[in-house]
Amino acid sequence: MRRVAITGLGAITPLGNSVDAFISGLERGENATQYMPEWEKYTGLRCLVGAPARMQDEKLIPRQNRRSMGRLSIFAVQAAEQAVKDAGILPAELSSGRLGCVIGSTMGSAESINEAFETILPDHDLSKLTSTKFFQCISHTAALNVGQYLGITGTVMSTNAACASALQAIGTGYDIIRLGGQDMMLCGGAEGLHPTVVGSFDVLFAASSTFNQDPKNTPRPFDARRDGLVCAEGSGIVVLEDYERAQKRKAKIYAEIIGYNSFGNGNHVSESNREAIIACVNETLTRAAVAPGEVDYINAHATATIQGDKEEAAAIRQIFGDTVPVSSLKGNIGHTLGASGSLELIASLMMMEKGVIYPTLNLQEPDKDCRGIKHVMEPLKKEIRIFLKNCFAFGGINAALICKKT
Amino acid sequence: MVEQDIIRMVNEVFNESFEIPEDKLVPGANIFNDLGLDSLDIVDLVVALQKKFAVTIRDDERVRTIRTLGDIHNFIQLIKKENKK
Repeated sequence: MRRVAITGLGAITPLGNSVDAFISGLERGENATQYMPEWEKYTGLRCLVGAPARMQDEKLIPRQNRRSMGRLSIFAVQAAEQAVKDAGILPAELSSGRLGCVIGSTMGSAESINEAFETILPDHDLSKLTSTKFFQCISHTAALNVGQYLGITGTVMSTNAACASALQAIGTGYDIIRLGGQDMMLCGGAEGLHPTVVGSFDVLFAASSTFNQDPKNTPRPFDARRDGLVCAEGSGIVVLEDYERAQKRKAKIYAEIIGYNSFGNGNHVSESNREAIIACVNETLTRAAVAPGEVDYINAHATATIQGDKEEAAAIRQIFGDTVPVSSLKGNIGHTLGASGSLELIASLMMMEKGVIYPTLNLQEPDKDCRGIKHVMEPLKKEIRIFLKNCFAFGGINAALICKKT
Repeated sequence: MVEQDIIRMVNEVFNESFEIPEDKLVPGANIFNDLGLDSLDIVDLVVALQKKFAVTIRDDERVRTIRTLGDIHNFIQLIKKENKK
């Protein structure tokens, strides 16, 4: 099997539209949550906070490319362009057939889907629908648009596993390169913020609703006062590359991926399950040939839901005890759903590069059910040689990825 | 509806839907070769013209013969006249 390096990064985030802006925001301990007054019109929506990214420079994408892109695909294309530039990929390589992309999202553009229904349903009239709305709504919209825009002729596919979409995309790209199918892969996830998506969490009492007038204090991963997640948006794209190829061309190697796994819990569509998380993470450790004690940092999924954080903390406690530093970045950027795996992986890679662990923002008093693990509550200087990234999704889908410094 | 209104409203469609600047919108402009529209754009052009002029033209065979902006002006004028009858 071939080894796989990460050689390029790109990010559109609620803290800014570049990897540098994202990391600077994390360093400053910023929280991107805002009150969303335009959501007040939705009856029954209790959560009125979100963490939007800023749409900018979209007109730089030619109209004939842009017309098939909803909000999340524009973010994906912009993040992919950054990653391509960062990795130093040449235009000819994009269309060589040896480079592909796997990019996931929870679903197609929620904004576009909503627009389509608003167009069709009042008169049940399909003749008013524009030709490219379908391409904005389709589940593989991010992958197809990045593929078309960049002229990618290798593998183009999508992973749609809600909040595990991006990590599954990276894991899939890792496997494709390991098996020799492609030499380089653009992988990650994208998401667009929309009240209908927030509502899907709100109906399950999983979205934050008691901090609407105090948005900077939510979400609160692992904290005793946590009351649910805050939906966010953006895109994170990483370039994966055959390790030897990257070495040969003297590319910057951020880290090597040494283990990946995704398991289902097989018992509930929405409730996290500690046994299933343990099984998923243990298998990832086995595949990476890494002992729990060798892990220097865990970037948790921890979205600030009552049930999810408790189960993740229990799983971490059982596998790692209270010695491995753990933090969640949801307190800074909210839950970017289908983009969270790649955006938080990018942040973890930068922590590895800088030798510092960013803390869980808004974690002031660890909940009694979330104790017994080493919470990072202040920036922590530490050399990270190996880290674990967790992602858990609706549908009982868990994923974990391990990276090693080279 | 006078011809100037039709020209102005068709130009608005091309500007709003296809981001084509005013100076390129001359009656002789070929919508494919000069203005860069393709098969997907034609679907959207019909949708936009229907909305702008409150007409139904999607299944009108004459749409297929349109090549220039001037053809659109004439076609809309004709449709409007037919609808008045």
